[in-house]
Amino acid sequence: MNFDFSAEQYMFQDSVRAYLADAWSVARLRRLMEGDGFDATLWHGLTDLGLLSILVPEEHGGMGLSFVDLALVFEECGRALVPGPAVETMIATDVLARFGTQEQKAALLPGIATGRIKVVPAVVEADGGSDPAEVETIASDAAGGWVLNGRKILVPYAGLADKLLVSARFGATAALGLALVDPTRAGLTLRPQALFDPSSRACEVIFDNVAIGSEDVVGAAPIAASVDRVVDAGAMAAAAQMTGIAARMLDLAVDYAAQRVQFGRPIGSFQAIKHRCADMMVQVETSRTAAYYAAWALSCDAPEAVQAVSMAKAYCGDAARFVCNEALQIHGGVGFAWDLDLHFYLRRAKTLEYSFGDASAHRERVLSAALAAREAA
Amino acid sequence: MDFNFSPEDDAFRHEARAWISASLPEGWGRTVHEPEDETERYMSRLGWEKKLFHGGWAGIAWPKEYGGRGATLVEQAILAEELARAGAPEGLNIIGHNLTAPTLMHNGTEAQRRRFLPKILSSEEVWCQGFSEPNAGSDLAAVRTTAVRDGDHFVVNGQKTWTSFAQYAQWCFMLVRTDTEAPKHKGISFLLVDMSTPGITVRPLRQISGESEFNETFFHDVRVPCENLVGGLNEGWKIAMTTLAHERGPEDALGRQIRFKRELGRLLDVAKTQKRGKRAAIDDPALRQKIASSVIEVELMRLNCLRSFSKMLQGKPLGPESSFQKLYWSHMAQRMYETALETLGPAAALGAGDPATPARGMFQTGFLQSRAFTIYSGTSEIQRNIIAERVLGMPK
Repeated sequence: MNFDFSAEQYMFQDSVRAYLADAWSVARLRRLMEGDGFDATLWHGLTDLGLLSILVPEEHGGMGLSFVDLALVFEECGRALVPGPAVETMIATDVLARFGTQEQKAALLPGIATGRIKVVPAVVEADGGSDPAEVETIASDAAGGWVLNGRKILVPYAGLADKLLVSARFGATAALGLALVDPTRAGLTLRPQALFDPSSRACEVIFDNVAIGSEDVVGAAPIAASVDRVVDAGAMAAAAQMTGIAARMLDLAVDYAAQRVQFGRPIGSFQAIKHRCADMMVQVETSRTAAYYAAWALSCDAPEAVQAVSMAKAYCGDAARFVCNEALQIHGGVGFAWDLDLHFYLRRAKTLEYSFGDASAHRERVLSAALAAREAA
Repeated sequence: MDFNFSPEDDAFRHEARAWISASLPEGWGRTVHEPEDETERYMSRLGWEKKLFHGGWAGIAWPKEYGGRGATLVEQAILAEELARAGAPEGLNIIGHNLTAPTLMHNGTEAQRRRFLPKILSSEEVWCQGFSEPNAGSDLAAVRTTAVRDGDHFVVNGQKTWTSFAQYAQWCFMLVRTDTEAPKHKGISFLLVDMSTPGITVRPLRQISGESEFNETFFHDVRVPCENLVGGLNEGWKIAMTTLAHERGPEDALGRQIRFKRELGRLLDVAKTQKRGKRAAIDDPALRQKIASSVIEVELMRLNCLRSFSKMLQGKPLGPESSFQKLYWSHMAQRMYETALETLGPAAALGAGDPATPARGMFQTGFLQSRAFTIYSGTSEIQRNIIAERVLGMPK
């Protein structure tokens, strides 16, 4: 039993943090509000660091590591507001490596490892959110494959992705599964959406009789567990990123409180401010506990993985909400200014809070599991 | 990172589980419960603690030379989990085990360790803690109880308060002022006092829970041999900080988590049987969310402890992850008991003695007890000052 990272894992975190401190900033993020929202230099830098190859198995040119090796990286991505589709592609990589056919893996994973191929999940619908049970996109039987009809929203960076990982109900049995769909396919329409976080990009994607081959289904035949996995991995990655954002917001608040003078004293010397920061620290540290544990549980398919992920998504979401709001408050009027960076953290955290299931949905999942366990005991 | 247990750990777990199940009374937690009477309850807890000792399960992580097993922290965590699973009682000599022992291991002389540790382990000697005074609460360094040197003794005069278990204790460790001229932190010493010494009066204080766990303790010309001084003269404040670090650290928290988890399990049961009109309380969506929050927070308390333990296992100093533990669990436990009373609904107004009280009134008692969590071993306000100034480095 060991609830800590290895020296190598901490070293990798340090190198990611050092790279991002040097090569990335909110000032550069602001530039992404215009154009396609993609920073090729950053993408190549992250690729060179090896971020995108961590989950790719060695036989496909990657490192063959696990989410435990990525937990601290996700945290850093949150902390530095790394834009998509980096984390999204890592989530897709995990699913492809686990459930993809040999052909799918050979076609996509080596390209992902070198940064050439981007794959993003398309699992959110307007009515059911990202709950697999609520998927309404249909894949109907067709000669040699399937025909997709439906609508996804908030598909991250769909405009520059090479493949979308689309959740759908397949055939007469309505079996859940994932389809790999090229966003340039006939019948597929992308509509860029205006976002709460203007430094990000996402599209509404409409599938109007989009024909795909049977070889485009992840695992060749629909696998319900692959849809669950996308959502769970996404929730865990969101929890870890929110933890990083909250940690950064706490640092910013503490730094600001030390230099902002009112009544002849730094405001950080007032207990009204100190005590808020202490409460923020408690939630940041417990967020780390929750997010790291979820990463471990998913990486080794622990029996309690679903609860671990839901605990993390619920706790880290509430914590990020609290910490971001308090950090803004501590900054006073300047915290409300567009030119200060705080709102970019706030917007990213808020977006993550509602992605891959909100805190209420995840609490419900934890309680159901706890009641079932109590029943079984 | 690895939460799997080694085959040795699994064997240890089986051994612990078998021993606990054979040692608790038949029907424990279902038909057999702790005594209603407070003194009987504490005596039964002392009996259980002694049973643990005779079974070889007391202070398992202590070094072998002092009677422990030199067990790993993981084994300590496993034992805590198994005690929780069985709903085993708490102990009475908690202060001796959790505070006196580590303080003496760090700061005591070899003679003090040999004299006191074995009887702490066996709970032959129960300990209490003489820190707070009527005018030294959060401002602990303002203690006024004096100890004046007289030959090979100190003569102690003054009053301590909130002295938990003083009426059951054979020994007390206390902070005394040995230099009234020095700055307040620099004139304090740490003394071990035999509670049977003439001049000590213990007066139980009734708490809001109706229990009398704590006391006022008066010292009138109490003679304490000089060899009972821990550390150097006037160096007591530093030692008190070691003691407090243990009082607020992961080992203490893990022990408490056992109780919260056990009561949370009972809460789930009660929520299924208590009605809200035609439906069960557990089917009320608003209540479900609150209970779910407690399920999450109690589990994260355990994981917070394990994270600190893992740092300790690697010999890393306990960083911020230990200083936040007490602030985390005290508030989360208060929320849990609030939710428990909400689950009882109108039955929350029943007293423990009423036959219609769910879970024998444990949630009403727990709620009242929980109000102390954010006050003792340093109020939440003091914890927040410590975190802000020493962990976050905020200006004084």
